Amino acid sequence: MKILLQLFEKVRPVFEDKGVLSPMKPLYEAMENFFFAPASKTLYAPFSRDPLDIKRYMSMVIIALLPCVAASLYFFGLQIISMIVVSYAAGGLVEVAFAVIRKEKIAEGFLVTGLIFPLVLPPATPLWMVAVGCAFGVFVGKEIFGGTGRNLFNPAIVGRCFLALAYPAAMSASWIEPGSGLTGRLLQYVTGSNVEAITSATPLVEAKQGVFADTLHLAIGNISGSIGETSGLLIIIGGIFLLLTKVSNWRTVVGVLGSAVLFEAILHGVNPEQYAPALWHLFAGGLLFGAFFMATDPVSSPSTNQGKWTYGVLIGSVAILIRNFSGYVEGMMFAILLGNIAAPIIDEIVFSVRLRMLRNE
Amino acid sequence: MKLRGGYNLKIEGRPGGFLDKASLPETLYLPLASRSFNFSQICTVHGRHVVVGDILARDPDNYDIPLLSPCSGQVDLESTTGHVVLHELSGDESGVQIKYDDAKHAHKMGSADFERHKLLNLGAWEYVKDAYTGQTPDPLSTPQAVIVSTIQLEPFLVRGDVLLEASLQQFTRGLEHLQSLLEYQPIYLVLPKIKTDISAKIKEHIRGYAWVKTIDVPLKYPYDNAAILSRHIGLKRGDGFIWSLNADGVVAVDTALTSSKPCVERVISVAGPGAKHPLHLRLTAGYPVAEIRKRYAQKHAVAVDGGILTGQLLTDDIKGISVDCKGITFVPERQSREFLAFVRPGFDRQSYAPCFMSSLRGLFAERLTNSVRGEVRPCVSCNFCEEVCPAGITPHRLHKLIYQDDIDEIERSRIDLCIECGLCSFVCPSKIELMHEFQEAKGAIAKEKAAAAKREADAAQQTDSE
Ligand code: SF4
Ligand code: SF4
Repeated sequence: MKILLQLFEKVRPVFEDKGVLSPMKPLYEAMENFFFAPASKTLYAPFSRDPLDIKRYMSMVIIALLPCVAASLYFFGLQIISMIVVSYAAGGLVEVAFAVIRKEKIAEGFLVTGLIFPLVLPPATPLWMVAVGCAFGVFVGKEIFGGTGRNLFNPAIVGRCFLALAYPAAMSASWIEPGSGLTGRLLQYVTGSNVEAITSATPLVEAKQGVFADTLHLAIGNISGSIGETSGLLIIIGGIFLLLTKVSNWRTVVGVLGSAVLFEAILHGVNPEQYAPALWHLFAGGLLFGAFFMATDPVSSPSTNQGKWTYGVLIGSVAILIRNFSGYVEGMMFAILLGNIAAPIIDEIVFSVRLRMLRNE
Repeated sequence: MKLRGGYNLKIEGRPGGFLDKASLPETLYLPLASRSFNFSQICTVHGRHVVVGDILARDPDNYDIPLLSPCSGQVDLESTTGHVVLHELSGDESGVQIKYDDAKHAHKMGSADFERHKLLNLGAWEYVKDAYTGQTPDPLSTPQAVIVSTIQLEPFLVRGDVLLEASLQQFTRGLEHLQSLLEYQPIYLVLPKIKTDISAKIKEHIRGYAWVKTIDVPLKYPYDNAAILSRHIGLKRGDGFIWSLNADGVVAVDTALTSSKPCVERVISVAGPGAKHPLHLRLTAGYPVAEIRKRYAQKHAVAVDGGILTGQLLTDDIKGISVDCKGITFVPERQSREFLAFVRPGFDRQSYAPCFMSSLRGLFAERLTNSVRGEVRPCVSCNFCEEVCPAGITPHRLHKLIYQDDIDEIERSRIDLCIECGLCSFVCPSKIELMHEFQEAKGAIAKEKAAAAKREADAAQQTDSE
């Protein structure tokens, strides 16, 4: 370790203001501080700080997603790994480019975006589409707003939305029948040309035709769907881990899931023929994944606790509305986008109510 | 207002219940400027011989609060800038009664006013602050209430129980003296919500005092803060001063009024993760910082005047303990850079958010250093700062407004309610210097207001002269 640290010390001058590679300083700093805890000391009170930093904070999300990633390898094949790598490369490139242009530090947000983005794609999406989508998402969803922390939208959702609108045909031809047996598809590399593996149907598509997949399959995940979205149970496990670490806020999750289940239960109660049971909807499609991993993105959701409730309820009910009363089969994506737009307004309202309550103090 | 937010940090270095007395040093260095006072008006001359309780300087902006000589010695105004230095010290010959019953004071004012002057000139008024502003209140005013706190929740300041154990008698007598200065206003006595030996004893002692109202406060930092408590009780800003003082202040009141002695001794804590053995120390203002460092600090530790959350870095040009010092906290300097720190399991890390394996074990105290422990990043709206803020304001929103430089909106968002407890900066994973930003913004707002007031006054003068 000493040697590595010395190496960093040695090459630092090259990246300093007058060095040959000074424009690349953000990259150098990111590398150095990735390997070694940053050297800065407190100048102002408080003179000690909490050990949690953004790197750790973001890593928690990655840990929480690992069960889903592992399951997806089993169900859909090894191409998932290359998709994740491509997504990281494309997202990272945009992030680094902007850090260099703005002379700012490289923020860790893309570590999460780079992993979440492929998980919401169909499992046989061509790699070039993964790259384009991720780059677009990071660029439009984040960088043009000023980078991590200032983004209005969740970049992964923006990328996903872009692909869905720009290449609808290619996307709907990229679903894969899940593997089964001992090794599943663990030893396969599935692409769009593996005709026997490709399917066009996901449970939500079939539901439009009145065919409902078994809820048990939805919970376990041996069903076609987006890479990370199929196994309800693993998503819940990862999601609860995130809630326990306080990285995601339970109010958002309960808001989304509670309102969706309640709304769907009412619909089902009114007309059981036409509307599926609430439990089925809970596990189908991206509702769980969206609630636990996407709606909870702290930057693009309201920051106040009261705001998070409102935001969650908004997303949950809009998702169910779209699923049941529109031509689209999946509503989560648009519901979260809508929530992202509403977030700053919700926050403003909460703030002005708060200030009014403080008026007499 | 309900008590909200707050957070108890678990850090190694809490001072023990032991109270040590520092021996008389060779030289005392009394700083002329401290955190709350600026003794700019010198009342002595170079070379003069002074005795205990002689007034060395006064603070003209704070009701002429005096800087008292803690013992007999020779004044030296020239050797160290910013300090009154005392050489050739000799301890206080106890029995020397300060003759305060100056007839020239007594006949000019009523007896209550006389007592207040005594408090001021014998150095007890230094301990009294206004709950909301934190400034010294006018000693001649009548407050709307008095808040006396027996607990001290910030790590690592003087523990109220240690102090009271040593002087419970004086404490209750001091309360009576305080009451005699008031008309009908209540004295709120802040006690810990849990039952402790000392709180039981206090309750026993004050049983007959109808004018004392006790408030039981949960032991969570910073619920002992006077501004938070005033809001909690429902005392209004603008209804007059609220005197707030701690147990040591009440004891000082007793010293001044019962025995007419100058209050020159104080108890401070010398603690923190960088202290050799954290303890309480009885000493006088002016005690050399270097001496304390030599005796009680570990190697490579920075010294902080005050607690770890709200203190100020003790720079090398401050040579002695100031009159309003509550404690010295030593924080070890971070020595090495950990390899891949953020992926370590972290069994030994104590964090606000349970993101470390240490959440699986019970509570323990971590040995913290002065490392920021991360890089500064844009706010991710994680909401931690809002959760811990005891004032009910929204730190991350203030941060964004400060970034936009929107002074009006900052003011409207009630930055004035911030009590500068430091919790928001402590928990922020993006390592944003929230509290420091707020202090600066408050300063800027105050300056702007003063400038506006001056402009108005000038304009009024002009219209007058026309
Ligand atoms: S704790 Fe820091 S990162 Fe989190 S909301 Fe507050 S300012 Fe933002
Ligand atoms: S905003 Fe002020 S009162 Fe609130 S946590 Fe920060 S320092 Fe404390």
